Amino acid sequence: MHLIEAVLLEPVGCLAEFPAEPFQEIAARFFGRNKKASRSGSRAYWHMLNLMDTAGQPIDAAAEALELEAVDQASAYDDVLPALTELKAMGIQLLLASSLSSVAITHFVTKCGLAELLSAVWTRDNAGGIKAAPLRSAIGGASLDPEQVMFLTDTAEGLKVAKSVGVNSILMMNDPDEARRLSMHEPSGGIVSLHELPDFIRLVAAENAQGAATHDLRLPR
Amino acid sequence: MKNISIYRPTTVDEAIQILSRHGTDAGVYAGGTDLLVRLKNRLKQAPTYLVDIKKIDNLRYIKEDAQGGVQIGTATKLSELAESDLLQKKYPMLIEAINLISSPELRNVSTLGGDLLQEVWCQYLRGGYSCWRNGGYLCYGAIGDNSYYHSAMGGRLCYAVYPGDAATALIPFDARVKLATPSGVKELSVEQLVPGDMMVDGRIQSHVVRFNEILTEVVIPPPQPGLRASFEKLRPRGVWDFAMASMAMSLQLRGKTIDDARVVFGGISGKPLRETAVENFLKGKTLSADLGDQAVSVALANAAPLKYNSTKIDMAKGLLASGLAKMNATA
Repeated sequence: MHLIEAVLLEPVGCLAEFPAEPFQEIAARFFGRNKKASRSGSRAYWHMLNLMDTAGQPIDAAAEALELEAVDQASAYDDVLPALTELKAMGIQLLLASSLSSVAITHFVTKCGLAELLSAVWTRDNAGGIKAAPLRSAIGGASLDPEQVMFLTDTAEGLKVAKSVGVNSILMMNDPDEARRLSMHEPSGGIVSLHELPDFIRLVAAENAQGAATHDLRLPR
Repeated sequence: MKNISIYRPTTVDEAIQILSRHGTDAGVYAGGTDLLVRLKNRLKQAPTYLVDIKKIDNLRYIKEDAQGGVQIGTATKLSELAESDLLQKKYPMLIEAINLISSPELRNVSTLGGDLLQEVWCQYLRGGYSCWRNGGYLCYGAIGDNSYYHSAMGGRLCYAVYPGDAATALIPFDARVKLATPSGVKELSVEQLVPGDMMVDGRIQSHVVRFNEILTEVVIPPPQPGLRASFEKLRPRGVWDFAMASMAMSLQLRGKTIDDARVVFGGISGKPLRETAVENFLKGKTLSADLGDQAVSVALANAAPLKYNSTKIDMAKGLLASGLAKMNATA
């Protein structure tokens, strides 16, 4: 793996546990899909994005209200703030790249207190599209080489999008059984918790630096 | 298996020169019960150049030092430790622990240094999965079958447990080690030698020994009068296996009063886990029938089991209780 310079963060499943219901409601109400009894907010989200992609049209204000509801109900993972703070201190650019609306993302960033940590925020509105579009905008906007960028995701769809953009796909192994299935998609890497990401990036840096000195993985804490 | 070259240096200095020349492509070869298996398993991290240290005379000994402690050369075989009258006399718990390491056949080949520095025995690593220790970036143990050889105390990228028993048994005696390095001899405690998942020379390993350093000696301080120790181990297979959980404990006793304590758990974490909460709890207490239950209540508060291995924590706590019961019965 190349030296990592930036991490693309999709809030759903990467930074917070989102409820599935609001996304299922959008799929049902705006795309005529039956509600599925999925407990995974991430899967429901990416399913909704696929429907939006197929329909080829933006969703309206009523759907955006449901996304806001999802953000309201989302609970950020405990390790988000310490991990992102450490990454920023390491000089890693943190780019939020999401297919949610700008309104929903602004609410999420405020709610979780992330504004100071992020180098840029890309949504489906300012990126002009969903799925790969926010990722491409984030990479282009920061003039990054995709090989030096990680994208964190906990779904098969997210892994596919990362591969299509050429960034390193990092599996968030939130659920061990689901992660085992997703490991068959050959992600570039995987972490159990966001607090492992700084060490991951340090290890890659050490591999890239020949003859790196002894370094305690726990030292910075 | 890939082609390998073997060097047979006759001095530690010569061995260090060879190791320095080849960098992380070289590895120290003593008993081979870990190293040769890694080669056979075709692991990416297995070395191409083996530096056989068996021809170095002054690495294989067990002797008493001037203070009444014991010095052990790291190329000493485990079976030689198990048969040592000196160790039996001074540290019988260590003999107990050594006899619970693998099988008699393997103990006849394995060395003390090899046991201390062995690679983890995660079935995914040994099965050639592209994990953190094998050129990849994912821990399959964290998401797969982690019943036996994975940490129940959290992890950092790699979730495999540190597999050695010798370190777990040596820490309660405050044992120290010597490392020969290009810039001279370095001394560490055994606890400092194996602090768990470390990034050393760009790779993850359980110990801090760099590619051009050789573990040469273990030094155990003299036992003080009143020192009692016990070692307990539970294995998936009773005949021979790595620990599901193990516990080594030493108590400095005055009558039945505990003046000082060391409690170390093996098989449940990425390192021999010194449980200072229990040690502090035990200090000043009197050995009694119910002390075990009380100690268990403060043990392993930071447990973070994976999906299939919470039973390791119960086992470790059970070993603590039985160790204290044994001490009480014989004090």
